[in-house]
Amino acid sequence: MPTVLEKKKTVRINGCVASAQAAKYADVDVIAAYPIRPYTATMMALAQMVANGELDAEYIVADSEHSQLSIAHGAASSGARVFTGSSGVGVQFAYELYSPISGSRMPVQMMIADRTLDPPGDFGSEHTDALSTRDMGWLMGWACDAQEAFDNHLMAYRIGEDPRVLLPQMVCQDGFFVSHITGDVELPDPTQVKEFLPPYKHPYPLDPRHPVSHGPQIMPEQGPPLQLERARAMEGSMAVIEEVHKEFGEIFGRKYDPWVEEFMTDDAEVVFFLQGAHAVTARFAIQHMREKGLKVGMARLRTIRPYPTDRVCEVLSKFKVVGVIETNMALGSPASGGALYADACAALYEAKERPLVISFMAGMGGEAIVLKEFYWMAEKMMQALKRGKIEKRTHWVGFEE
Amino acid sequence: MSYTELTVWTRGIIMDKEGRDIVNSISASARTEGKYAQAMENYVDNPDRTNAPTRKYCRVSDSVLENELTYENEHPNIVVLVEGTMVKGWDYMRGMPPGGTLVINTHYSPEYMIRFVPGPERLAQLVCVDAAKLADHKWLYYRLGELGLDRLSTEGAAERSRKIAPDIAAPLIAAVVKTTNIVKMATITPMIANKHAFDMALEELKIMQLNPVAV
Repeated sequence: MPTVLEKKKTVRINGCVASAQAAKYADVDVIAAYPIRPYTATMMALAQMVANGELDAEYIVADSEHSQLSIAHGAASSGARVFTGSSGVGVQFAYELYSPISGSRMPVQMMIADRTLDPPGDFGSEHTDALSTRDMGWLMGWACDAQEAFDNHLMAYRIGEDPRVLLPQMVCQDGFFVSHITGDVELPDPTQVKEFLPPYKHPYPLDPRHPVSHGPQIMPEQGPPLQLERARAMEGSMAVIEEVHKEFGEIFGRKYDPWVEEFMTDDAEVVFFLQGAHAVTARFAIQHMREKGLKVGMARLRTIRPYPTDRVCEVLSKFKVVGVIETNMALGSPASGGALYADACAALYEAKERPLVISFMAGMGGEAIVLKEFYWMAEKMMQALKRGKIEKRTHWVGFEE
Repeated sequence: MSYTELTVWTRGIIMDKEGRDIVNSISASARTEGKYAQAMENYVDNPDRTNAPTRKYCRVSDSVLENELTYENEHPNIVVLVEGTMVKGWDYMRGMPPGGTLVINTHYSPEYMIRFVPGPERLAQLVCVDAAKLADHKWLYYRLGELGLDRLSTEGAAERSRKIAPDIAAPLIAAVVKTTNIVKMATITPMIANKHAFDMALEELKIMQLNPVAV
């Protein structure tokens, strides 16, 4: 442990600035920027840091998100620590690059401040933008406030750059609910970061003195081992993720469960299962319902890729009813609602005691989920508990009695 | 238990800093007093709209803010118009409960301005302060181009001044704090860069007391 922590300080910043600060503390080498709301404020903050001489990095403004991720890919291939980011349709426009980056095992980091896709294309947060890329081989998880966003960035670099992993990371936060809401964020002493996050060293960077090939054309028979290796890297990252979270807690004093945060679940019968910032309001709603004697709790998913199947199964199978709050669109999916339901049900399949599972479509278009909507969802779960079966798989909150 | 909402209406980019300084300084003061407080900008106003109306919000409460993630102030107790001509044209009084305060940056008197205010019967007081004059605010009308270049974004991307309330925000903050006691004078004063304009405003407020009724 470092003994002198004189440069540790608490500042009042929003999620966007917290992400920029994290990139600065991670001492990134290359920043690939292209503006789109709401994540833009992160790149604005980084541009100021570079201009002020606070951060020594190449700041490249691309002509599109596709170029942005291409720059990130190239820079990472040459051995640079890379920071990039996007929101909403910007995430989609770069889609072609996601598989090549994870396929070439480049630990690029991408900050996502969620925004709805078109339609409605407003600035509010739906997780569909990042979630639509969830099977592309990127580590992925959501923060629920600015401090957690900051911490997740540092942890993601450490995990992704671990030679046992070497995978890119999407570090996600809700647009507005995290990106534009200010909170007290503890910025660490640089010696703490130095101890936690060593300088990035890729084992096979592009270097004319030591020629290597990246991404060469292969024959079909070379495909299976290549893909298996990437799948194993993703699976193998789980042990590293746990290790890194533990070490982060020891150095910085903030201990996160890498997979699922449980809130008031000890004797809970019905729980909300969600990810991201709506957990903040959910905690208040649960406290109020607890005062009235309802056995309600929350399980918040912190990492969705790799999916903590065993952990989700172990946690959710303790309850009678699970209400999945989606905040994303998965049209025509198993519940005909959101994407989180299918993963949760798949994880629960092997459980001895399975809870009833309901999918709630709430917060669409980035609408705030207010207390009374949590009460309404809890009521639906209570009814299902009483009845012993669900009324239907998916409820659209705000459209039903 | 007290809960207060403050909404500031200002003009995109060229006067965004003024609006931002008002909500940020009051929110920070409230927190130093041990209260719960939050300052933010209206999320949908944030794209770069030069001169268009934009909103900044502040919430101050004795208890934890459970509505921290809601986008707008639905029931503002205090409304500030950073630029006088904003008094006409839209309903900045929407949602104000009876007993509210309206603060306008104008050289006109409250008696003259009240005719433009939509739903004035909710007001307990209308406060006029000639903030531009008190802050010796020459650039407002003569240096708009330069100002637009200095402030490239409503989110404050390229502000050269790191000071809080160096300009017309100072007298407006003085007007809000003196007439509403949303925070203590002692906690807000040290934050203000333009102390001269702040102190002058405390002496020169034009306050019209009204008898609010529910609408």
